Amino acid sequence: MIRHECLELLAAKMTDQLVVTSQSGQRIEWSHLSNHEGNLLVGMMGCAIGVGMGLALALPHRKVIVLDSDGSVLLSLFNLATLGNLQPKNLVIYIFDNGVYSGSRISYPTATSGNTDLEAMAKGAGVTTATTIRELDDFKNRGLEALERNEVSFIVCKVEESLIHREIQRPTTDLVENKYRFVRYLEGTEGKIIPFIGRG
Amino acid sequence: MRDELAKRLVQGLKNAGINFVTYLPETRLSQILPLIQDDPNMELIAAASEQEAVTIAAGATLGGKQAAVYMENTGIYVSCYSLLVVGKQLGVPLLLVIGFLGGVPDQRNSFLYATIGHHTIPVLQGLGIEYVVIEDAEKLETRINDAVRAMNALRSPMALLFAGEFSV
Repeated sequence: MIRHECLELLAAKMTDQLVVTSQSGQRIEWSHLSNHEGNLLVGMMGCAIGVGMGLALALPHRKVIVLDSDGSVLLSLFNLATLGNLQPKNLVIYIFDNGVYSGSRISYPTATSGNTDLEAMAKGAGVTTATTIRELDDFKNRGLEALERNEVSFIVCKVEESLIHREIQRPTTDLVENKYRFVRYLEGTEGKIIPFIGRG
Repeated sequence: MRDELAKRLVQGLKNAGINFVTYLPETRLSQILPLIQDDPNMELIAAASEQEAVTIAAGATLGGKQAAVYMENTGIYVSCYSLLVVGKQLGVPLLLVIGFLGGVPDQRNSFLYATIGHHTIPVLQGLGIEYVVIEDAEKLETRINDAVRAMNALRSPMALLFAGEFSV
């Protein structure tokens, strides 16, 4: 199973969900597969789950999806404890765990290529629904079913390293441009002004 | 901090539109926590790290809340990365409500805190985050309101550093 195959399946399911992506090859692949206005790109690693939690808490009636990586989760392990206690029911987190820092160009291994098990860590932190998916058929079933469930999902997708993201066009949308597109989309779909925009 | 100051601080936050607060507790301003917790119009979210508190507050802001992050100034050092990534790079306003330990106006300053306090303002300046040191309660509500208006206009975090009579 590779990440791009999973993202293709996920992209076909997008309607009005909000999707937070962090810095890694997946943000290139996701932007290639989905030009949805509900996509929010957080420009660096280790922040997407926190931002996703904040969105999920602010908009409990909207489904929030976070696309993240093993390297990113390892950078922000404190998120697991908070997730385990808050349990936002509208939050689905997919961790594409390829066991390497692919962006390093030399694919240096992450801790999950050794003894570290992110599902076990999440469960220990209180995310009792955490699970691991290793096969594409399982992703088609359990992975996508998470979108329909009313509980926090933390799905570790064990994927082979793939370099597709180096072969496809990189997104040129500026981070701030993307933020405003996202906020305007929310204003339109929620029917309210986002307060920080303020008066012009 | 006197109870009356805690009430005014929380009321000032509410009056300025703050309705979502993430936090890690500290000593100087901790009386505000039960007041926020008990307020039906404010949401209080405990984080495991100030770095996380900043990202959760940023997500809530983008989702339509007006968010504050309450932390000790040690948390500024912990959260530098997320302040830069979601605060400055993405341009998300957040009110940083900070117990300013170890600064000159900290009434409980000691060798434990002084180095922490000494570097706080230069770090905020390095991050490009505006700040106001609040040592007394004069015009407290106005200063909070001004900070919220300024952070929204700047699309940036803004710090209120509480010391002086808030640190007693």
